[in-house]
Amino acid sequence: MGNTIVKIDNLVKRYKELIALDHFSLEIEEGEIFGLLGPNGSGKTTTINCLLSLLAYDKGNIEIFGEKMTPVNYKVKKEIGIIMQNVAVFDELTVYENIDYFCGLYIKDKETRRKYVDEAIAFVGLEDFVKFYPKKLSGGLLRRLNIACGIAHKPKLIILDEPTVAVDPQSRNKILEGIQELNKQGATIIYTSHYMEEVEQICTRIAIMDKGKKIAEGTKDELKRMIKNTETLTIEILDLSDEMLEKIRALNHVYETDYSDSRLEVRFSGGKHNLIHVLNLLQENNVSFSRAYSELPTLNDVFLEITGKALRDKE
Amino acid sequence: MFLHTFKYDFRQCLRQKELTFWLILFPIILGSFFKVAFSELYEKTVKFDAVPIAVVETEKNAVFDQVIEQVSTGEDALFKVTRTDMKNAEKMLKDEKVTGIISTGDLSVEFSSSGIDQTIVKSFIQQYKTQEKIITDTATNAPEKLDTVISALSTDIESNKNIPFADDLDTTVQYFYNLLAMVALFGAMSGVFVAINNQGNLSSLGARKCCSPVNKLTSITAGLSAHCVVQTICMIVAVSFLAFILKIDFGDRLGLVYLSSIVGGFMGVAMGFFIGSFGRLSEGVKMGIIMAVSMLSCFLSGLMVNNIKALVSEYVPVFNEINPAAVISDTYYCLAIYDDYSRYIRKMITMIILTVFFTLGGYILTRRRKYASL
Ligand SMILES: Nc1ncnc2c1ncn2[C@@H]1O[C@H](COP(=O)(O)OP(=O)(O)OP(=O)(O)O)[C@@H](O)[C@H]1O
Ligand SMILES: [Mg+2]
Repeated sequence: MGNTIVKIDNLVKRYKELIALDHFSLEIEEGEIFGLLGPNGSGKTTTINCLLSLLAYDKGNIEIFGEKMTPVNYKVKKEIGIIMQNVAVFDELTVYENIDYFCGLYIKDKETRRKYVDEAIAFVGLEDFVKFYPKKLSGGLLRRLNIACGIAHKPKLIILDEPTVAVDPQSRNKILEGIQELNKQGATIIYTSHYMEEVEQICTRIAIMDKGKKIAEGTKDELKRMIKNTETLTIEILDLSDEMLEKIRALNHVYETDYSDSRLEVRFSGGKHNLIHVLNLLQENNVSFSRAYSELPTLNDVFLEITGKALRDKE
Repeated sequence: MFLHTFKYDFRQCLRQKELTFWLILFPIILGSFFKVAFSELYEKTVKFDAVPIAVVETEKNAVFDQVIEQVSTGEDALFKVTRTDMKNAEKMLKDEKVTGIISTGDLSVEFSSSGIDQTIVKSFIQQYKTQEKIITDTATNAPEKLDTVISALSTDIESNKNIPFADDLDTTVQYFYNLLAMVALFGAMSGVFVAINNQGNLSSLGARKCCSPVNKLTSITAGLSAHCVVQTICMIVAVSFLAFILKIDFGDRLGLVYLSSIVGGFMGVAMGFFIGSFGRLSEGVKMGIIMAVSMLSCFLSGLMVNNIKALVSEYVPVFNEINPAAVISDTYYCLAIYDDYSRYIRKMITMIILTVFFTLGGYILTRRRKYASL
C-alpha cells in the first residue's frame, strides 16, 4: 500500500457544449479494487478513455505508475489491461485466436503466450468454446471473452468498464469472483459500474460520480457514514391511514416516510430498536401488516441522498 | 509484432465472406455471363468489310508493297488501302477515315482505338512479320516463285481472318478488362476494414487496439500488407480464370497482365484505406461510398456502357488519366494493342503514384493519436 498507481488531477473534458468531466481528480493506490460508481452518462467511460489517452482532454494531468500518460507511452500501456464497455473482438477469429491476438500485442514469447492464453481461457471458463466464433456466443460468454482478451497478458493495472452489463447473475458472480482473484494475484483494479451492489460487493474503495463530478469517495463504510440514513424499514401494510402515517413520522429519529403500493418505507437517522418501536405503534393502533424488515444503508442510499441534495441546491 | 498482427489480419481477411464473394465469385460469375452473352452476339452479327488503312512509305519495301497489293484487291479484299504521307495519315486516323496507319519501314502500326478492325490489321502484320524472311528470301533467290508464296500468305491471312472474331480481341474484350479493373477496385473494401479497425474513433476494435503498446503505423502497415496479399491472390485467380477458362485474349504478355492486375489491386486497397480514413461515418456508410465510387469509376471507364469512356475523354480528358478503373483497364489494353511499352509503363506509373498518394493520405488522416470524441 501507499504506492500511487493512477493519479488524475483536475481533469476537464468537454464534448462541444457538454462538460463531461468537471475538474475531476482521483488517486488509486496499488492493490486496490477501486470502484467508479455513477448513473448512465455520469462520465465513467469518459474518465477511462482519458486515462488511456484515447480521448484528448481540455485540462488536467494524468499519471500512471508515476509517469505521464501519453498515447505513445508504450511502457505504461504494456502493463495495462483494458476491458471496454463495448465488446471489442474480431468476428472472424475464434475465441482462442482472439485471446491469442490480443495477448500477442503485449507478450512476444510464444511459449509464455500459449501458457497465458490457456490460463485466461480457464479463468473465464471458456474451455468448451475455444473454437467458437464470437457470433455463436451468448451475450454473457461474449463478455467473458472480452474480459479474457483484456487480462491474458497479466497486466499490473486492470480497467473494467461495466463488464457485467447484460450478463446473467450466475455469470456475473463468476466475473466478480474472478476480479477479486486477479486482485489477489497482485493486480490493481479499476471497476466502473452503475450497479451499486456489485461495487459494494468487491470494491475496497469507491468514488461516486455524477455529471462529471466526483461527489463522494471512500470505503463503503466511510461512504455510508457520510449520510444521515442509518436504517430503512420496509413494512407491507394493506391499508394505512394518513393519520397513522403522521404518527409514524412523529417517531424519534424518523426523517422520511413513503407509502405506496401497500409498502411503507421509513428512514431513520440513528436510534436503536427502531423496528420494534414502529411495530409496537402499529399494534397499539390495530393496524395489521404482513412483512417487515430492516435494511442498513446501501450505496444506493448514499447516492440518492447526495445527488438529492445537489438537485435541491439548484432549486 | 508486425508478423503477429499480419498473421491475424490475414486470417481475418480470408474469412470475410463479403470479400470472398466480391473478389472471387463475382468476377467468375460476371465474366462467364459476359462470355456467354458476347459469343452469341458475335456469331449473329459479324460480317466483314474491307478494313480502311493508311500505308505510309517511310522506307522502300517492295515485298511488303506486293503483299499489300495482293490482299487489298479482289472480291474479298482484306484492306482498303490509302497510300499517303504521315501527316495526312494521322489526320485521316483522327477523322476516323482509316482504322490504322502502317509504316512500311519498321512495319509499326498505329491505332486510335481498339476493335475488330484493329485486330485484323494487327494480326495481319504479325503474320507478315513471321513470314517476312521466307518472302524476302524467295524474292532474292527465286523471284519467279514469289507470286505463289505471297498468295499462299494471303490465303493464310484470309483464312485467319475468321479466327480472331471467334476469339475475343475486339470491343467486348474491353468489358473483361473493365471487369478486372472492378475486382481490383473492390480491394477498396479491404482498405476500409483496415482504416476502420485501426481508428480509435471509428470502432471499438480500433479503440481497443489504440490501448495496446503497438505503434499505429506498424499495425496499419501489417493490416494493409495482409489485405494486399489476399487481394493479390484474388487478382491472380480472376486473371487466370479469364485467361485460361474463358480464354479471353490478353495478348502474348500474360505475365505483365498479372503484374498490372496485382498493382491495380494494391491501388484498390489503398483507395479504400484513404476513403475509409475520412471522417466519422459508420462502417456501413463507408462501404456504401466505396462501392459507389468503384462502380462509378468503372462506369466511367466503360464497364456498363462501352462508349462512355470515349465521351469522358472528349470532355474531361484528364479524368481518364487518373480514374483508377480506367487506368487499370488501359494497362491491359496497352498490352494487347501496342507492341512498345511506353504507354503501358506510363499507366503503371500512374497506378503507382495513385497508390502512394492514397496510402500516404490515409496515413496522414489516421496519424492522430488522441481523439476529441469516441
Ligand atoms: N462522443 C461523444 N460526443 C458527445 N457527447 C458524448 C460523447 N460520449 C459521451 N458523451 C456524453 O458525455 C457524458 C458522459 O458519458 P460517458 O459515456 O462517459 O458516461 P458513462 O458514465 O460511461 O455512462 P454509461 O453508464 O451509460 O456508460 C454523457 O452525457 C454523454 O452523453
Ligand atoms: Mg460508460
